Amino acid sequence: MICVLNVTVRSADYFINLPNSFMPTINITLYGDIASHGGGKYIASLDLELPEGAIMDDLLQTIGLDPEDRGYLFINAILHDMPGLYASQETRLKEGDHVGIFSIRHMWPYQYRDGIRMSNALKEAMKERGEMRNTYRENPKN
Amino acid sequence: MARKILRINMGDLSHAYEEVPEKWAKWAGRGLTSTIIADEVDPTCHPLGPNNKLVIAPGWVSGTPAAPSSGRTSFGGKSPLTGTIKEANSGGLSSQKIAKLGLAAIIIEGMPKDGAWYTLVVTKDGVAFESADDVLGKGMYEVDEILWKKYPSKPAVIGIGPVGEEKLSNAGISVNDPENKPGRYAGRGGLGAVMGARGVKAIVVDDTDGPGVEIADMDLFKTGRKKLTDAITSHDLTKPNGGLNSFGTNVLMNIINEAGGLPTRNFSAGQFEGAAKISGEMVAEMVEKREAGMTGHGCHPGCIIKCSNIYPDADGEELVSCVEYETAWAMGANCGIDDLDYVAMMTRECNDLGLDTIEAGNTVAIAMEGGLIEFGDKEAALGLYDEIRQMSPLGRILGQGVEATAKAFGVHRIPTVKGQSMPAYEPRAIKGIGVTYATSTMGADHTAGYTIAPEIAGVGGKVDPLSNEGKAELSLTFQAATAFVDSTGYCLFIAFPILDIPDGWAGMAESVAGVMGMDITGDDVIPMGKEILKIERDFNMKAGFTAQDDRPPEFMRYEKLPPHDEVWTVNDEVLDEVYAWVNGK
Repeated sequence: MICVLNVTVRSADYFINLPNSFMPTINITLYGDIASHGGGKYIASLDLELPEGAIMDDLLQTIGLDPEDRGYLFINAILHDMPGLYASQETRLKEGDHVGIFSIRHMWPYQYRDGIRMSNALKEAMKERGEMRNTYRENPKN
Repeated sequence: MARKILRINMGDLSHAYEEVPEKWAKWAGRGLTSTIIADEVDPTCHPLGPNNKLVIAPGWVSGTPAAPSSGRTSFGGKSPLTGTIKEANSGGLSSQKIAKLGLAAIIIEGMPKDGAWYTLVVTKDGVAFESADDVLGKGMYEVDEILWKKYPSKPAVIGIGPVGEEKLSNAGISVNDPENKPGRYAGRGGLGAVMGARGVKAIVVDDTDGPGVEIADMDLFKTGRKKLTDAITSHDLTKPNGGLNSFGTNVLMNIINEAGGLPTRNFSAGQFEGAAKISGEMVAEMVEKREAGMTGHGCHPGCIIKCSNIYPDADGEELVSCVEYETAWAMGANCGIDDLDYVAMMTRECNDLGLDTIEAGNTVAIAMEGGLIEFGDKEAALGLYDEIRQMSPLGRILGQGVEATAKAFGVHRIPTVKGQSMPAYEPRAIKGIGVTYATSTMGADHTAGYTIAPEIAGVGGKVDPLSNEGKAELSLTFQAATAFVDSTGYCLFIAFPILDIPDGWAGMAESVAGVMGMDITGDDVIPMGKEILKIERDFNMKAGFTAQDDRPPEFMRYEKLPPHDEVWTVNDEVLDEVYAWVNGK
């Protein structure tokens, strides 16, 4: 079943000195084994409050997800990252964003994503590495 | 022993073994079915009339020892759904057993003069024409069970359900799986109706004491086999406990939904709020929760990817195998239904009746759009399969597929190309697949263009995947590579590891070369695939198809698809470019 959590993060040292007390709420869905970071088995959905100005890296740290265990990543139906790429780490999150994160084991063949919306940062990263890969991990055999 | 052609004439109930003509000798699987159809079937014939044929062919490596995931059988004919040439392929038991009987292909032609129905029993000794009275009118679950009791050698059972008997255009051809269940379908294009029109209810294939598959160069075969096996078993997507093994093809449901490309409620939106509830992740959770069924199920002996599943009901009993992505999407998201148990029940209905699940789900969605029932009404949707089972007038319309149903209910949002409805990827959001949908020789088909690395395809420096300008060449290259893989007998999912691991690509070609004694390498894959496409395209042109048929549905040009509010923007010139080389331009 889908696990729904409400997680409020207020005490992380990293954020203590940030100005303003407004805490944007981000909706996150985790798919695959990484759902355990949201209290689920294979799917977990949670609302997370993060300090204003938080970036994707902060979100992953807050839920304890190693970026290397992260596969496809979407923000508001736009692909922001791929397995083995790290184009989304600096992306700033805002109130009401929906973030979908998939495990490293998820697949999405190129022919089924050819032409979809992508962030500019991801486009640039893929231009360097070639777009038609299933994974950008250095060694997909591992 | 050289491979033979087994020709079965249903007009006089005779059969004959023939040498494989030189012109056909290098082909297997899809390459062979399409070549035979092009040579022997009048492209203008009626698909259900006496001049169409059904051709069944295993792939190049089918039946060889331990070739990984090599159990695909190709079925070919002129399609009653599309009017084009058609190849649909399936897993299950048939490919390896046909190959081990030393057969390159089975050609079924003619029609019984007496209107009787037959079960063909194919063994090393020939063909027996048995009465089908004991299985006629029955669903495929019962047919498989009856025939395994009658023939205890656990043969392959190729069969059609009641929909095929009635020669409706959405009739698929079933192949039993290792547990003798009918979940493996050469589903698309109505070839079950072509089989029914020959008076054949079932084909039993018993390979006992068959001659086996001759391998021309065992060392080369083994070298290629090892490379390919290593690639499959080590890649994230296809290795044990990898993405496909864990969540099946339905691993795509949530991804496509997050991307906004999941056709929802008859292609009126790109996201479905209930997607997670019918996804592969949810299938895995239900299997664990109910402590029954399984993921990581293999659909044929020797599969090492094992992307299939067995879905259990609430009582822990097997409900159906399998709930895969296209099926869950067609029955679920596209009908606004988020109940996995109902998706599974409708899938079982399709397996039993002999329906292609993609076309069936799309058809129900059209009926919903037309006001017959409401989107999301799962009980009513399940009830429509009863209409088909009873062959009521409504059921007969539904059994004809999307376009016939759309006409019956006055619907203009019709997601078809060349008469065949689209699978689970929205072309307005995923434009590359739209190019392939529009131009495929088979009608809208998600398996017509699997990606290969551009440097392998020889188009590496010439195309920009981020631009529409390169889409024609890419689509053609992908379609050619797929036509080749469809001829190997390998599952198309080997495409994933061989994209990222070049040794796997070489291994695929070397294993084929080893079996056939052909002098081919990975460099020959695209040229040979294009040969197949040309044969198919020529057939379609003779059948009356033109470039104007290579178009996505009109509504996609003006209806914006949420959430991105996109329309189809690829120019017709790009579409025309894909097959310009066949048209002599």
